[in-house]
Amino acid sequence: MNRRQLPGACMFTILLLLLSCISYAQQRTIRGTVTNANDQAGIAGVTVTVKGTTVATSTGQDGSFSINVPASATTLVFTSVGYAAREQSIAGTSIVDLTLTPADASLEEVVVIGYGTQRRKDVTGAISKVTGENLNTIPAPSFEAALQGKAPGVQIIQGNGLAGSGSVVRIRGVGSVTAGGDPLYVLDGIPITSDQFIRGNSGAMNQNPLASINPADIESIEILKDAGATGIYGSRGANGVILITTKRGKTGKPKFNYSNRLGAATAALKPEFVNSTEWLQLRQEGWANDGRTGLADVPGGLTYAQAASNNTDWWKELTSTGFINEHNLSMSQGTKKLRSFVNLTYGSYEGYIKSNSFERLSARANIDYMPADNVKISLTTGYNRGNNHRVSAAWDGGIGDALSSALPIFPVYTQENNYFMNGANPVRKIQETKRREIDNRFIGGLSFEWQVIKNLYVRANGSIEYTTAFDDIFESANWINQPNKDSGYAKRNPYWGTNKNGNVTVNYLKKFGNNHSFNFLLGTEAQEYVRKKYRFEIGDFASEGYWNNVGDYRKRRDQLVRDRRNQNPPQPTEIAEGEYTFNSFFGRINYSYKERYAFQVTARMDGSSKFGQNNRHGFFPAASAAWTISEEKFMEKYEFINFLKLRASYGVVGNANIAAGRYYPNFAIGGVNYNGSPTAYLNSYGNPDLKWERLNNIDAAVEFSLFNSRLTGEVAYYHKITTSTIMEPGLSLSNGVGNVLRNLYNSKILNEGYELSLNYKVINKKDFTWSIGGNISKNYNEVLDWELGPDVVSGGTNDTRIVKGLPIGVNYLVRYHGVDPSDGLPIWLDKDGKQTKTFSLDHRVYAGSVMPDYMGGFNTALQYKGFELSSLFTFVVGGNIYDNSGKYQFLGTSKKNWNFRRDFLDRWTEPGDIAKYPRLTYDAALYPGVPSEDQFNSTMFLHDASYLRMRELTIGYRVPQNMLRKWKLNMVRVYVTGSNLLTFTKYSGGDPEITRDFENPQDRNLSPNITYLTAPTQRTVVFGLNVGF
Amino acid sequence: MKSFLLKTSLALMIPLMLGSCSKFLERPPEGQLTEEELFKTEDDVVAFTNGIYTLVGDNAFMGGRKQLLSELLGDEYRGEFFTGDYAEIYRRANSIFGGTRDDFYRKAYDVAGRSNIVLSHLDLASTRKNEIEGTAKFFRAIAHFEVVRMFAQPWGFTNDNSHPGVPLRTELNLGSVNRSTVKEVYDQVIADLKAADDLLPEAPANAKYYSVTKWAARAYLAKVYFQQNDFTNAFKYADEVIKSNRFLLDTDLDQRYSLGGSTEGILSIEYSINFYMPGGELKGAFRSDVGLPNFRFTDQYFGIATARGADKRREWYTNTLQPGFNLLTKYNKNEFDVPLVHLTEIQLIRAESAAETGAANLATGISDINAIMTRAYGGTAFNLPSSANAALVISTTRTERELELVGEGNRVQEIKRIGARSGANIDRRGSVWNCNGMILQFPKGEQDAFPGFVMNAEGGCF
Repeated sequence: MNRRQLPGACMFTILLLLLSCISYAQQRTIRGTVTNANDQAGIAGVTVTVKGTTVATSTGQDGSFSINVPASATTLVFTSVGYAAREQSIAGTSIVDLTLTPADASLEEVVVIGYGTQRRKDVTGAISKVTGENLNTIPAPSFEAALQGKAPGVQIIQGNGLAGSGSVVRIRGVGSVTAGGDPLYVLDGIPITSDQFIRGNSGAMNQNPLASINPADIESIEILKDAGATGIYGSRGANGVILITTKRGKTGKPKFNYSNRLGAATAALKPEFVNSTEWLQLRQEGWANDGRTGLADVPGGLTYAQAASNNTDWWKELTSTGFINEHNLSMSQGTKKLRSFVNLTYGSYEGYIKSNSFERLSARANIDYMPADNVKISLTTGYNRGNNHRVSAAWDGGIGDALSSALPIFPVYTQENNYFMNGANPVRKIQETKRREIDNRFIGGLSFEWQVIKNLYVRANGSIEYTTAFDDIFESANWINQPNKDSGYAKRNPYWGTNKNGNVTVNYLKKFGNNHSFNFLLGTEAQEYVRKKYRFEIGDFASEGYWNNVGDYRKRRDQLVRDRRNQNPPQPTEIAEGEYTFNSFFGRINYSYKERYAFQVTARMDGSSKFGQNNRHGFFPAASAAWTISEEKFMEKYEFINFLKLRASYGVVGNANIAAGRYYPNFAIGGVNYNGSPTAYLNSYGNPDLKWERLNNIDAAVEFSLFNSRLTGEVAYYHKITTSTIMEPGLSLSNGVGNVLRNLYNSKILNEGYELSLNYKVINKKDFTWSIGGNISKNYNEVLDWELGPDVVSGGTNDTRIVKGLPIGVNYLVRYHGVDPSDGLPIWLDKDGKQTKTFSLDHRVYAGSVMPDYMGGFNTALQYKGFELSSLFTFVVGGNIYDNSGKYQFLGTSKKNWNFRRDFLDRWTEPGDIAKYPRLTYDAALYPGVPSEDQFNSTMFLHDASYLRMRELTIGYRVPQNMLRKWKLNMVRVYVTGSNLLTFTKYSGGDPEITRDFENPQDRNLSPNITYLTAPTQRTVVFGLNVGF
Repeated sequence: MKSFLLKTSLALMIPLMLGSCSKFLERPPEGQLTEEELFKTEDDVVAFTNGIYTLVGDNAFMGGRKQLLSELLGDEYRGEFFTGDYAEIYRRANSIFGGTRDDFYRKAYDVAGRSNIVLSHLDLASTRKNEIEGTAKFFRAIAHFEVVRMFAQPWGFTNDNSHPGVPLRTELNLGSVNRSTVKEVYDQVIADLKAADDLLPEAPANAKYYSVTKWAARAYLAKVYFQQNDFTNAFKYADEVIKSNRFLLDTDLDQRYSLGGSTEGILSIEYSINFYMPGGELKGAFRSDVGLPNFRFTDQYFGIATARGADKRREWYTNTLQPGFNLLTKYNKNEFDVPLVHLTEIQLIRAESAAETGAANLATGISDINAIMTRAYGGTAFNLPSSANAALVISTTRTERELELVGEGNRVQEIKRIGARSGANIDRRGSVWNCNGMILQFPKGEQDAFPGFVMNAEGGCF
């Protein structure tokens, strides 16, 4: 047997053994009705479970139920969202009528935790839950963007305006430098691929793997934030864990749901630029300011007159209103033995950039089969096809050019009706190059749950994520300068990845008397990921892209494969990359005393192939506790307190978010001969000591529910220290072997913060409800210990620094004081704050940070009979934006030759002028001391990042029940939703939410809020219809 | 029964999991080898040494970057079209940041680092040991030589050359190393080249001078001594190379940058279609037939270079391909080998060194420069008479040197060498030869990794 198949084989053996143990027992039937304690109305959809088993049913519309229970059953458990759960003895009776009391839904709801579930009120860790319903309120480019403002301590910076773009997600700050700061995403138990750099850094804005997850499949998202919650994920828990749970069948007759969304997408905010005449005037102004005479030099090989006769609005040429078109059909049913959920989705989401869209095709079938009272077999399958019609952006041209070097004086076409080629022409690029990135992702899981004896459960799960991805590029004959019209070039770079995960857990519940209950969990897990690709590019001359001619692609691929196999000796055709494994053992003990004091201890031993030979295994313990004070006798007198809980946790978790194989030396036999002889190389030196980043994480919180549960909320505090920071840059440039991924043991990074969330039901009547809620969090970040100089992490797309005593990602800049009215030259402040007119990089000081001071969201929802109005605002207070494009846009009319942004028109023009910006110049180096336009970094381009955004606004109507009955429908809802409709910001450069063209995870950690030709986010308006039948 | 099955399952599972654990976690990346896995035989060391050629010819090192950094610091181009790093370097005000410069620095030291790795595996070498060791020492020498010329004030800046040079890397060390003195660096360079001279063969591999030979080592020794204004030694080594009669001046000036067509390359990096294609950055920076490059000659220099109607080197210029701009055409081709040192340069070194070393060698100097001029002007019209004095030979050779080596990164080193030689400032842009900005600033990363690293002073050239 192949060694790599062993863990999978183990799992399979176990599953077979489990299957063989299924047994059957005698049964009896219990009937009854469940009603609301307040108004005695029947409650539909109450889950009725035989305690200690998986046998369950749910009540019908009138609250009635009927359930076959094993002869040994003694108790039924009634649970329903919005009601306090109840247990009822069935000893000696076959009729059970009972009432449920409306309760604070948030306390009774079931929360998904690592390898299990818990009642919200029993949870000892920091977990935020966002339901699928709450997530799907807007057509976000990718599901994670829709989390914004909905969970405290979770920073989501929406992706830019490109369709399918990914967001930056940070849970309680960021403590990593080179290692990824993104959370671990676990979908139905399998840690899924979320790495945006699978294809390296390709074409500025990389493919976002999360975009192919269908938001309509999602039942809930749990965000695990502290070690109490993430400790069970060990070496991968440091950045938080996002658990995605897909929908499953619910007990009852088949119910169908059809929904659609049709709408439009435009840009939320866009920067404004000067036109051609203005551009030339400004050029001339700078030219004259420098003491030059005559007409200014004009770029692009144009004469002054030709330039003046053009006036191209490149933004307009490249954008149009995008069309959103989404359809979704789902079915849910459940019988005693079989529950299923099926969902089909088609969606096409055009962005506002021409040719740019994301297309989704998705199918899901989740089936639960209960062959016996003590056995449940669950199948979870989902197929998603995400087809990203990519366009160039940022430095790669396209819309990036429209914001930079495609000047209004340039024409799209020459007089001979050819493309203008003597300067940037993004219209040519968008028309003559096409790109499709297609991700086909199948995620399937099979799990067996077996109640071996009373209170002893064994669960075995096997999951696979299989991805085939194609990056198709077509460059037309025009683009590659081929005379024959059909001689364009088509190429495809595929990869195919397999992510296998298996775990077995044993769960034992034990009660001692009435007061002591234990829950023991012991588990083992193995994960194996591998991705393969061809060693060569598959491409050929063609008249269109391979996505239209798959046959041609296959022919070319097979030919190239054959050629290599026929060589002597035969050459390999494929190569594995990114291969890694995890092998883990974990355990959790929960102890509860009088349902008042809860303690939890978790521990995980992780081994991973990602770590160096000398540090293969890590141990990660965590402990947490909760005290439900409101259950104490002495609290009875405080009637307004319905629920009050204190909780705290401490634990050690790790960050293993690094590319696979980085510890391994990379000496390689060269692929290229030199002078007819073979070559060999050193690509990187390797580090056998490489290990995870270590995070010590403390959390403390108060959860409460007051005034008949109308006011609920939570206040939390956390304190996280990252050590052993994983770092790549910072070795001497002359060492001759480059940088090495290593742990900085003398580094310490702090994230400390507070979170507050509140929800208040202002009006809570039968036909009229109004609620308001919101959350706010503050994160304080400081690099406590740091052994390297401030500019180690710099260059490339990183315009931020790491300096001891300051937050990660500080803006380390020369301070701009203003303009000297007498000559229009900039006045700077030196290190000591003294004014100077000579710029120097030695004047740089800490001037700002990309980390916000506060962030959060607030929402309100109003329902009157069938009408509903809801809105979500998100906000950021403090932090800075560094406008790195602005730096060049201000110098647009200098020899940099970029577009000139209108807000820079507030510049000095003559002696005595009081202006915001200095006099224009043809050459930035004429500002004394400025080395070049690249090193013109100063607070002139640093802005307050605060903003308030109307993230969502929905107006809807639900057709009343009496009409529905007539139409024989369960539910009809129509609505209109807008996203990003209003934005309030002081930032003049466009959209204040910035995810730039990150080159690597380090950029994602350090350079959000640094612009570089970032396309503004989308604003969408959609009409939706939702029909249940 | 159930408990039996459960126990059996667990009993089966746990040993399997544990037993397979360590193997399950071994996932060496495909295609990557450890140092021990790569270096097993002499052939492996040869292959690794062979890989260094492609590093030397890399765009960021001798495949273009060294040349364009030097040209930027020189005085033949108009500066108003350069932006960013290029503009800084052109203005002789290079500051602490800049990828254009950093990558050059890093790449040069990569060459030194790889050479050191080769030298640490000499125990595997047997029949080709000398060639391997000689090649590694040669490359280590030229890496240090090119870096010390760009990042440190020239030889002669101080009397004893105790001024700061560059880090010397003679063994593999991931940590930081501070700057050695210029003297120490030059001493090491010369020691390495002399060792290479002793170790290397006379004949190249595959009969083409795409690999390092004794002649390449001697040619570089001539270059190094010439840069030091040590004319006796420069003459000696140039003379030995020329007298080997293995190299001939190209009759056609277009051949120096051609695909295998040159006879004067003493060491060239081979351009091999579909395998290794160096020189991309040279084309990118200078090529004038497919676009308008930013390297545009001043009218002053263009006037000097095209003054003599008979000069065949006028082919290297155009002011019509892109009307209004004086551009170079030397690199207007898709494919060419990149010579690192060629006979024209060595003959110019011998000519000037001959004149500098007194009467005994003067005739050789005259004959050398006349050979160059006869080719350039298509005849002997401009040749020096046999009675020409040393000063005339020197001045003529310097003029011809500039014209011959245009676009090859020669000029700035001449400004500095002649400044160090005589204190003369020949810079047409008016800078003093030893002003701070005539050399590049070190990458800031060196100081960030090691606070004691001594950076250069900046600017002060205008």
